[in-house]
Order: sequence, then structure tokens, then C-alpha cells
Amino acid sequence: MFELTALNFFILAAFGVFIGLLGSALGIGGGIFMVPFLVLALDLPIHQAVAASLVAIVATSSAVAAVNVERGLANIRLGVTLEVTTALGSILGALVAHRLPAQAVQLLFAFTLFPVSALMFLKGRRGLSAPRRPAPAAAGPSAFDSSFFDPAAGAQTPYAVKNMAPASAVSFFAGSLSGLLGIGGGIVQVPLMNLLCGVPMKAAAATSNFIIGVSAAASAYVYFRKGLVPLELTAVIVVGVLLGSFLGIYALYRARSEKLQLVFAALTLLVAVKMLLKAL
Amino acid sequence: MFSEKTFAKLIQRTLLAGVFLSLFLLLAGFGLSLTGSPAGGALLRAGLLALLLTPAARVTMLVYGYWRCGEYYFALASFVVLGLLGVSILI
Repeated sequence: MFELTALNFFILAAFGVFIGLLGSALGIGGGIFMVPFLVLALDLPIHQAVAASLVAIVATSSAVAAVNVERGLANIRLGVTLEVTTALGSILGALVAHRLPAQAVQLLFAFTLFPVSALMFLKGRRGLSAPRRPAPAAAGPSAFDSSFFDPAAGAQTPYAVKNMAPASAVSFFAGSLSGLLGIGGGIVQVPLMNLLCGVPMKAAAATSNFIIGVSAAASAYVYFRKGLVPLELTAVIVVGVLLGSFLGIYALYRARSEKLQLVFAALTLLVAVKMLLKAL
Repeated sequence: MFSEKTFAKLIQRTLLAGVFLSLFLLLAGFGLSLTGSPAGGALLRAGLLALLLTPAARVTMLVYGYWRCGEYYFALASFVVLGLLGVSILI
């Protein structure tokens, strides 16, 4: 049983700050690190770890999205459309997870982290080596097309959004992962919007952050109603996450996220191996 | 006139209000827990609930905003998301 001592309080709050910074920098909720941390370091049952992670993702998303919406980085029309299937998948994922034994969820989590790690590595490497190309033009202008001011380029960056039908289907999968494993789904949403829809990386990360708040909340309600959210522990993490998110929004606005992606790819691989060993 | 900028501001303020209300309740809850007051736990619970309801409040504002802008497709999409959130609360 987890006990909230002064030391645990500061460790959890510091970890929350780290997760908040991560969310601001990469547009992900941080669940891929939070769930393993709670399970491996604090020995928390995985269902409770998933529940705590989902609440923390809502915190990251709400704090970061507030600023991204004002800056025009998050594409709200695209976000709310993808939220329909994401939320649906998220609810179903949470209901399935509740019926699965802890070991099965841990195994599933570990196996999910391997491709996530590879994806992060490839994304980070491509970002560092290849020049940034504009997205190919869509067949015609759509209501989802948008633009944002990129401080790195010092100019307004317009973009066209394409492939909405397949993107909605993949979003359902991202939502299911969120509800099942407490990982937000940003790790699927960001490459989905970037590679399939043609949304520039910064706008994709911001829009993903906007979406994952709803998908995490949809499944968090299910966990909350079933009494699986560890109250004090989650509250400490949330306070840390909110502080980290606000710090990250201002500190990392101009930072290039590609180098971070490579570091986190290696870290995710390590976490995957650890989770696999724990589950077996 | 309900401009795009006003709409963005509305969404931003809704999210920030939820986040700061939650943060206030959580910090107050920790403070009361330290003094041994039983209200501490209730405030922590209320803080987490406020946070969890923030995305639903944001989606409600999307329904309102898109309706005001006459973008009924997006108002409907937002309404469906709100309905799904409602279902997940009741499950």
C-alpha cells in the first residue's frame, strides 16, 4: 500500500513537473512514463496507475491547450472532429481494461511501448536530418485548413488538411489505447496528423494536446466511478504536472523537439523492457 | 460580433478557470489535510473532479461557439463529444 510521506510528496511532485514539461514540449500526455513509474517505482496496481495517469493527462492537456488555442497553434475544428472517434475508443478501452487482469494490461503496455519507442526515434531522426517540406496540397480547400505563426520561421505557416476519414478511424485506435493503458494517445495522434493529414509538426503536437484532454477525461470518468483513482497520490502528481506544464509552455516555446524525441525514444525502450520483465 | 479571436479567448478562459479552480482546491485540500481536518480529503476529491470536468466545460463552450458562428457541422461534432463524455460519466 502506498503511503504519502514528505519524501514521496516531493518525488511525486517533481515527477509531475517532469511530465508537465514533457507534455508542453512534445504534445503528449506523458502516460508512457507515468504508468511505468507508478507501477515499477511505487508498486502501485496497474489499474490505479492508469487511472492516475489519465487524470494527470487531463491536467497537462487543459493547461497547455489553454495557451495553444490562444496562440492559434491548435486546430480546433480538426481537434473536435477527431475527438468524436477518440472519445468513443477511449470509453471502450477503459471498459475493457477494467475487465482485464493486471498482468495482461502490463504485458499489453510493454508491447505497446516497443513500436512507440521506434516511432519516436524515427520521428526525431527525420526531424534532425531532413529539410521541412510543406504538406502536399489537398484536392480543394476544406474547413479544416488552417495556419499558425511559427516563431522559428518568423512567418505565418498555412497548411491543408487531408485524409480525414482514415484519420478518424486511427483516432479510434488512439482513444482505445488511452482508455486501456492510460497513455493519452498523443503518441499516435501526433504522427497521424503529421504524416496522414499533412499538419505541420507544431500544429499537430498542439492539436493532439487539445484532443487528449477529452479522451483521457472520457476514460478517467469510468475509472473514477469505479473508485480506482488513488486520491492523494493523483492530487500531488496533478499539482506537479500543472506547474511543469506552465513552465514548459513558456520555456520550450522556441525549442526544437526533435533532440528530445531521440532521448525519449531510448528511455521508452528501457521502460518497455522493464515493464515486460515485471509482467513475465 | 462573435469573432474567431473571441471564440479562442472563451475556450482559453474556460480551460484556465478549470485548471486554476482545481489547483486552488487541491492546495487547500493539502493544507487542511496537514492540519488533520477531515475536509482535506473532500477538497482533494473536489479538486480532481473540477479538473476532470474541465474538458467537458471546454466542449460545452465549443458547442456554444460554433453555434454562434453558424458552423453547425462543428457544433454537432462538439455536441456528440459532449454526449460521449456524459455517457462515460454515467457508465
